[in-house]
Amino acid sequence: MTSVAARLCCLALGAALGLDAARAAPPENLSSVAKGVYAAARPRLLQIRTLLGSTERQSSIGSGFLVSADGSAITNYHVVSQYVLEPNTYRLEYTAPDGERGSLKLIAFDIANDLAIVQLDKAGQPYFEFEKRALADRMSRGERLYSMGNPLDVGFTIIEGTYNGKVERSYNDRIHFSGALNPGMSGGPAVSSGNRVVGVNVSKRMGGELMSFLVPARFAAQLLSRQHAPVALSPEAIRAEIGRQITQWQAGLYKTLSAQTLPARTFGPYQAPDSPAAWFSCWGRTNAEQVPKPRAMLQSTTCNTETSLFVAGDLSTGQLRVAHSYAKSVDLNDFQFAAFLSGQFRPSWFGWNRKRHTRTRCHEAFVDEQVKEAPPLRAVWCARAYRDFEGLYDVSLLAVTQDRANEALVTRLSMHGVSYDNALQLGKRFLAEIRFAR
Amino acid sequence: MPGSSPLWIEIVTRHGHLLQRHRFERDEVRIGRGYDNDLILDDPFVAPRHVRIVRDGNNALAAEEVESANGLYEGDGKQRAARIALHGDNSIRIGRTYLRVRDAAHAVAAERLVKARPWTWPLMVGLVIALVGMQLASTWLHQTTEPRLADYASPALAFCFAIAAWIAMWTILSRIFSGRARVQRNLVIAVSGFLVLLVFYELAELGAFALSRRGLTSYRFVGLWLIVGFFTFLHLRAMSAAHSRFKAGAVAALTIAALGMQTLAGLQARATSDLQSYVRRLKPPEFRLVGTQSETRFFAAAEGLKTMLDRSRTDQPGEIDEYAVDDDD
Repeated sequence: MTSVAARLCCLALGAALGLDAARAAPPENLSSVAKGVYAAARPRLLQIRTLLGSTERQSSIGSGFLVSADGSAITNYHVVSQYVLEPNTYRLEYTAPDGERGSLKLIAFDIANDLAIVQLDKAGQPYFEFEKRALADRMSRGERLYSMGNPLDVGFTIIEGTYNGKVERSYNDRIHFSGALNPGMSGGPAVSSGNRVVGVNVSKRMGGELMSFLVPARFAAQLLSRQHAPVALSPEAIRAEIGRQITQWQAGLYKTLSAQTLPARTFGPYQAPDSPAAWFSCWGRTNAEQVPKPRAMLQSTTCNTETSLFVAGDLSTGQLRVAHSYAKSVDLNDFQFAAFLSGQFRPSWFGWNRKRHTRTRCHEAFVDEQVKEAPPLRAVWCARAYRDFEGLYDVSLLAVTQDRANEALVTRLSMHGVSYDNALQLGKRFLAEIRFAR
Repeated sequence: MPGSSPLWIEIVTRHGHLLQRHRFERDEVRIGRGYDNDLILDDPFVAPRHVRIVRDGNNALAAEEVESANGLYEGDGKQRAARIALHGDNSIRIGRTYLRVRDAAHAVAAERLVKARPWTWPLMVGLVIALVGMQLASTWLHQTTEPRLADYASPALAFCFAIAAWIAMWTILSRIFSGRARVQRNLVIAVSGFLVLLVFYELAELGAFALSRRGLTSYRFVGLWLIVGFFTFLHLRAMSAAHSRFKAGAVAALTIAALGMQTLAGLQARATSDLQSYVRRLKPPEFRLVGTQSETRFFAAAEGLKTMLDRSRTDQPGEIDEYAVDDDD
């Protein structure tokens, strides 16, 4: 009862404060800025629609904005991905706020930063400039941003929100924007009050409120500054290009990882490598509170990276996961404990799609370095290749300690969209770090 | 002809099992559907006056056709005959009825001795207890949650029902085809069969871990089907010792068909879903029988998978090919 009362009290207080603020400030201030921003931005905004070629119906929608006098516009890769992957099935079209329509040509895309450049069939339109302070990374937290786009196909919209710095636990730079992005706004610009682009609308967090994310403007500027011949739209060339970009991206990711030491975390008598970098988000779990009292104690930690790359509606890649489960028997006998442990002895990787992946192949063995410091292990290495992208694989390393019959550590390392060499390298480091706690 | 020795006409099944036996004190017996016969057959494929049984000058018996569209045949033969000599072990076919004729001089086999088999019941009880015990032990060894009576009682009961149904099926079949139910024999075969199945199932799982061979679990179904086939053959043989070769062949064919179907289903499942195959069931570490590898060797083998993966990049998704086969590396 007291907590309900307290909450009501705070809500009332908040409302009172809001009223005070409204009385104190001239009412037209903020909205008039937005009005000005939208009026200036309007001829530079686009809705980008992917049409199913045979029916002329839209199959996905997003937003975009003009960035040069020759008619180049920026949007998200995921807005145009259907067309990129199936150019013979889909085509691209833009709709301007004044209702004018036209076709679009794909110029370039950047999978790692979820960006694409498209070209209008006409030139000479007004266009957006990039915010210098954003390119130099000198924005201040709390600064007001205005995001624009066409959410859910209801019409062009301007949204006010706040710049909240970079997302801390992300390998790919993303701006945390506290504003209400909605589907359909992807690819639209988020601008400063001076109407210069700070970022590109890209995603929001489900289950949070106003948790939205922008691709920093500098990636768009970089993509634009490279000299591009229009993308050759043969499926082979596109696949080769996507493969090349993911390969390059993961090379950077795993190079960063290989430079880090793997911190050890202790689990009962064992220690195992844990969260190798700040951009891993880690969670712990136990079965201790379960009713009835569990017959074996289980302590799990899972560390995920926020490195998922969107490739297609049915394919994301780039994730990395480290998970440990330490189990100790309370009153299970050796056989029962082994059965309990079998429940944990699974790779923890993400979905399989027969169109995208080859079948999974596994190698398994009892591994023992025959040293005092490391327990013998049962280890399983499972891997599958990407059908479309040569040199890229999903790999899972699974290991369980084999030195005791009533206590064990299960370790899982999952790597998605990785070169085989990088997977082997991290896998080796990982397995070598499973040791007895000192 | 008064004073003639009696003769027996037996209506038998196609396989020679007795249905009815009729005694006649005369040298000529008329057989047909009509009421002016000595033996009336209600078979619609039999003529009103179909056949007669006669004794010739040498006291030998013979069947002679009287008047029929369907004719007279020996046993299952295809050759229509006007007259068939009867020596007691052959049968004749008229319409869809099989008849066997024997006279009093027909020799029968020597008397079989009644054997006291004091071990039968203890053996059966022992087997059933072993089976239920094995089943309960298997449940117990995999129990990782709160032990509940229902976890043990209901599978054990379901198991007992399954075995009872299996035995009932074989006793009924045996009663139909050989005239005797042979409950004891079928029970011993069924219970031993289930026991072997259960032990094999658990041993294959243990062996897969101990020897680090996942093939032992992924191809466990081969062993299971062979065991089912073998015990089915034993049930068939318990029915009667006749046609052993034919029965063995039929069971083998069925087993092979079952194996083929399951292999195909497995291959198709592997081709269209991601069944990562490795030994999933861990056992206590002391059951390991194979040697260990160094990490270097483990990763060298892991590296070896790359070539295979690269080759299967170009396969049609969902196609069954050599890589669909779940071999141990």
